[in-house]
Amino acid sequence: MSDFDFDQIQKTVEAELERITSFQQLQVFQHKYLGRKGVIPSLTRQLSKLEPVQRRQLGQRINALKQRLINYIAEKEPLFKTQASSQSFSLSELSLPGIAQELGHLHPITRVIEEICGVFMRMGFSVVEGPEIETEYNNFTGLNIPLEHPARDVFDTFYLEPRAWIRDRKELKERLLLRSHTSPVQIRVMRARKPPLAVVVPGRVYRPDAVDASHSFMFHQIEGFMVDEDIRFSDLKGVLEVFLKAIFGQEISMRFRPHFFPFTEPSAEVDIGCIICKGEGCSVCSRKGWLEILGAGMIHPNVFKNVGYDPNKYTGFAFGLGVERIAMLKYSINDIRLFFENDLRFLKQF
Amino acid sequence: MRFTYNWLNEFVEIKLKPQALAQVLTMAGLEVVFLEEKEGDFVFEIEITSNRPDLLSIIGIAREVAALTGKKLKLGSFSLKSYRGFNSNFKIEIEDRNDCLLYNAKIIKNIKVGSSPDWLKQRLELVGCRSINNIVDITNYVMFVWGQPLHAFDLDKLDDCCIIVRRAKDKEELITLDGQKRILDPQTLIIADKKKALALAGIIGGENSQISQNTQHILLEAAIFNPLIIRRTRQRLGIQTESAYRFERGLEPQILKSASWEAVDLMRRICGGMLILDKTQGRPKKKDKIIYFNSQQVKRSLGIEIDQKKIITILVSLGFKVKKQKKALKIGIPSYRKDISLEMDIVEEIARIYGYENIPTSLPKVLTKIEPDLKRTYILKIKDILIGLGLDEVLTYSLTDKETLKDFGLESKEAVSILNPLSKEQEVLRTSLLPSLLNIIIHNLNQKQNYVRIFEIAHIFSFLNDRPQEELSLGLGIAGVKPTLTCQGLIKEEMGFLHLKGIIQMLLDRLGIDNYSFKLNEKEGIDLYLGKERIGFILMRSILKNKKAYLAEISLTRLFGFIRLEKRFTPFPVYPAIIRDISFILKEGTFIEELIEEIRRQGQPFLKEARVIDFYKGKQVPPGFQGLTISCLYRSDERTLTEEEVNPLHDGVVKMVVEKFNARIR
Repeated sequence: MSDFDFDQIQKTVEAELERITSFQQLQVFQHKYLGRKGVIPSLTRQLSKLEPVQRRQLGQRINALKQRLINYIAEKEPLFKTQASSQSFSLSELSLPGIAQELGHLHPITRVIEEICGVFMRMGFSVVEGPEIETEYNNFTGLNIPLEHPARDVFDTFYLEPRAWIRDRKELKERLLLRSHTSPVQIRVMRARKPPLAVVVPGRVYRPDAVDASHSFMFHQIEGFMVDEDIRFSDLKGVLEVFLKAIFGQEISMRFRPHFFPFTEPSAEVDIGCIICKGEGCSVCSRKGWLEILGAGMIHPNVFKNVGYDPNKYTGFAFGLGVERIAMLKYSINDIRLFFENDLRFLKQF
Repeated sequence: MRFTYNWLNEFVEIKLKPQALAQVLTMAGLEVVFLEEKEGDFVFEIEITSNRPDLLSIIGIAREVAALTGKKLKLGSFSLKSYRGFNSNFKIEIEDRNDCLLYNAKIIKNIKVGSSPDWLKQRLELVGCRSINNIVDITNYVMFVWGQPLHAFDLDKLDDCCIIVRRAKDKEELITLDGQKRILDPQTLIIADKKKALALAGIIGGENSQISQNTQHILLEAAIFNPLIIRRTRQRLGIQTESAYRFERGLEPQILKSASWEAVDLMRRICGGMLILDKTQGRPKKKDKIIYFNSQQVKRSLGIEIDQKKIITILVSLGFKVKKQKKALKIGIPSYRKDISLEMDIVEEIARIYGYENIPTSLPKVLTKIEPDLKRTYILKIKDILIGLGLDEVLTYSLTDKETLKDFGLESKEAVSILNPLSKEQEVLRTSLLPSLLNIIIHNLNQKQNYVRIFEIAHIFSFLNDRPQEELSLGLGIAGVKPTLTCQGLIKEEMGFLHLKGIIQMLLDRLGIDNYSFKLNEKEGIDLYLGKERIGFILMRSILKNKKAYLAEISLTRLFGFIRLEKRFTPFPVYPAIIRDISFILKEGTFIEELIEEIRRQGQPFLKEARVIDFYKGKQVPPGFQGLTISCLYRSDERTLTEEEVNPLHDGVVKMVVEKFNARIR
C-alpha cells in the first residue's frame, strides 16, 4: 500500500460522492466506506504494517478523509431523507393499497336535502323545521283545505289515538295527526313572524300508502315559500328556474302547467324535460317526455287571512317537492324502498 | 274523465289534431294522462282536479276548448213537443231539505227496453262504460255529456205513486245493483217508496227497482243531494261510482234541467217512450255570484301587463259575464263555476288561458330577517363528525309495532298509537331509534358485511302529561369485526363497547362539551351524563351466533344546550412539564374513571393531566386482574418545577392508588 494507492482511493471516493442522489445510495456509500468491513476501517487496520513515518502521514490523511465522509453524510442525510423521492420505494410497496381512516357516508336523502337547501340559502332563503306531529288545523284547515272536502282525498293521513281521558272530553276538538306534507310549517312560520319571509322547510311526512317500488308511507318533502309586498308569479317562475337548473343542469327544459292546490291560487305543477330520454318518451316519464317535479303557486288569500296577514298588502308564493323523487331521478334509483332498507351496499355508494 | 275526440267535436269545432289538442289541454290545467286511437276515434283521459266538477262533462271540456281555441260552444236544443203534462197525484217527499236540494222526477210510459243502438254502445264503451240496456245507457250517456247523474227506476216496482227522499232506518236493508246486501243506518240517505228502500241516493240503485227487459214505464230521477252526505256514505260503504264522484263534488240546477230533458228526448227517440209527468220538489236559491275585479291584480300577482281587452275576451270565452265599470270589471260568474269566488280565482283563469308559459320569469329581492337555525347547524355538525369517524347514516321508519318495542325491552304503554294504521308495522310511533338500528345491523351482517357502523338522527315520540311529544334523538350502532390494513399487515378488531364509547367521546369533544361522565346503570349498560342530567345510554345486545351489537342513544334535544362551537385560543404553557407514568395491576371491576378522578385530586396543585396510555390483560397479568399505565403530567404556571417538588406529590399519587384501589405497582 502506498500513497499512490490512497490518492486513487480518494479520487474514487470523490467521484462516487458526486453521483449520490438518494438516501439509499448514501446508505450504500456509507456502508462501503465506513461500515465495519468498509474501505476506511480496513485501511486503518493495514496501517500497523507500515513504517512509523508513513503510518503517521497516511493515518492523518485517512482520518481526514473519514472525517470528511462523516461530515458529508451528516449534512446530506437529512436532505435525502426528506426528499422522499419515489425512487426510494419498491414497485410492490408502491402498488399496495394506501392506508387511511375509512370515512362514513351521508344518506342520499340527506345529501339531496342539503343540496336543495343550499341552492335556496344562496338565494337568501332560511331553513326552518317543524314538528312531525301536527294539528288538524295546521295540516288542513289553515291551509284552506276544508274538513270533508274532496280536496282532502289526496291527503290520506295517519291520525293519532288520543289518551282515553282526553278522548272523552268534548272540548278537545282538534285531532292530532302525522303531518301529510310540510306545508303546515307555512302556517307556523307565518303566525310567528311578519313578512318579508323566504323560507325552506325540509322534513319527514307520512301518508297511509301501501309500500311498493314507488310508494312509501313515510317520505321526505321540501316546502318553500316567500312572502312580501310585491311577490309575483313571475318571481315564482324565476326562483324555481334557478333551483331546477342548479339541481338538474343548465340545459334542462321546464314547463309550468295550471293545476289545483287548495292553498295556492293560481296553482301550477312544474315539469322538467325527462332527464332519462331527453323528452323522447320513455318508461320513467310514462312516454310523456316530461317529469312532474313539484307543485307550486301563489299563496291563497284565505291562507293569509288564516294567519292574520292582509291579502291586499302581501303576496307570496309557495312550492313543495318530494325529496325521494328527486333523489331517484338524480341517482338513477328505481325503488323507493332502497332508501329505508339501509343496505350498506347502497349507502356506501353515496 | 274520459271522452273521445269525435264526441267532443259535436260540441265545439276542433281544428287541432288530437296530439296538439292534448298539448293545449295539458297546458291549460286539464292534464291529458292517456291518449289512444281506437275504432277510428281518439280516447282522451284527463285528470280533473277536485275544484273543477264542471269538467266532469264533455260540455265542460268543450267550453274550455272553445275558450282556448277561440271557437264557439255548440249546444243543441231539444224538442219538447210530445210533453203534454198529464196531471197526476204523484208525490215527492223530501224529509230534510238539507239532504236534498232538488228532486226532479219524470215519468215516461210505454218505453221499449232493449239493447242500445251501435253508436251509443260504442261511445260508452270507448270511455270505459259497459252497455247495459238502452234506458240505463241513455242515463249514463247524458251523465257523461252534462255531468249530471240520472237514475231510472222501474215505475211498476214502486209501491204507491210516490218517491221519498229520507234517511235510512237503522239496520234497514237494500240489495244494490252490484249484488251486495247493504245494511244501512240513519247516516245514509236513500230514495224510497212508502214501503221500502229503492236506491242509495246519488251512489247506486237497488235491485228491486232496476230496469229489466220487462220494464214498461220508468221514473227518471234527476236530483241534487248534499255532497257531504254522499261523500260520507261512499267512504263508509267503500263504493266508488261515476255518479257518487260527481254528486260529492257538487251539481248545479241549470245543468240538471238540461240533462234531464236531453235524456227524455233521447228516450223518446230510442225507446219510444212518452213523457207523462215532470215534477220537481225543492227550489234551490239562485244566487248570482258577482266579483268586482281590478285589472291591476293581474300585474300585481302575475308580474305581467295584460291588455284589458284581452282579459275581457278570455273571461267571456269561459262563459263569464263581464261589464266594464269605472274602477273595475263587474264579473258575473256562471253557476257551474263553483271554484270561482275571489279576485285571485279570476287571475288564475286569465293566467291559465293566457298561458303560464307566456308569463316571464323574474327574481325577487329577498330581505328576510330570520336568524339561522342553530339546531340545524348542530345536526349538520354532528353528522359531519360521525361521518369522519367512519359511521354511515341511515334513515328508518318512525312507525313500528308494539311487539318490536317490547322485544327490545321498551315500554309500549308510553308509545303514541296510530288510529288508522294500514298494517301492524305502523301501529305506534317509536319511542327509541335503537330497535330500527338493530334491525339494520342484523340485515347488513346477514348480507355478509364484516362489520356495521351506523347512526340515525330522527324524532322519537312518547306521551308527556298525556300530550304526544317529539324529541330529537341520535342513535348509534356498531357490530362485527373490522379488518384494518396497517403497515405491519392486517389487524382484525371486534367492534366493541370501547369503540362506541370512543365515538361518543370524540363527538362530545368536537362539540365543545367536556362536563360529561359515564356511569354504570342497573341494566348492565352505561349512562351518559352531562353535568347531572342523564342524556343517553349505551347498551349491548346479543345477535346472531355469538355476535354482539353495541347501541347508544343520546337525546339531542337535551344535548343541544351544552354545545359550544365557539373556539378560544389557549396560549402554550410557558414552563416545562414533568411527566411520570405509573404502571400497575388492578383488580377487574374497578371503575377507572373514578380512579382517574381520584388521581387528579391527589396530584394537586401541579397535576394538570392524568390519562390512561396503555391497558392490557393476558399472560403477564394474573387472571381477574388487568394492567394499566397512567401518565401524569405536572406543571406550574408560575415557574419551572423541580424534581424535588414533583417527587413527593407523585409518590402521594402512587400511594393513594396502592392503598385506595389495591393496585400492585409493576
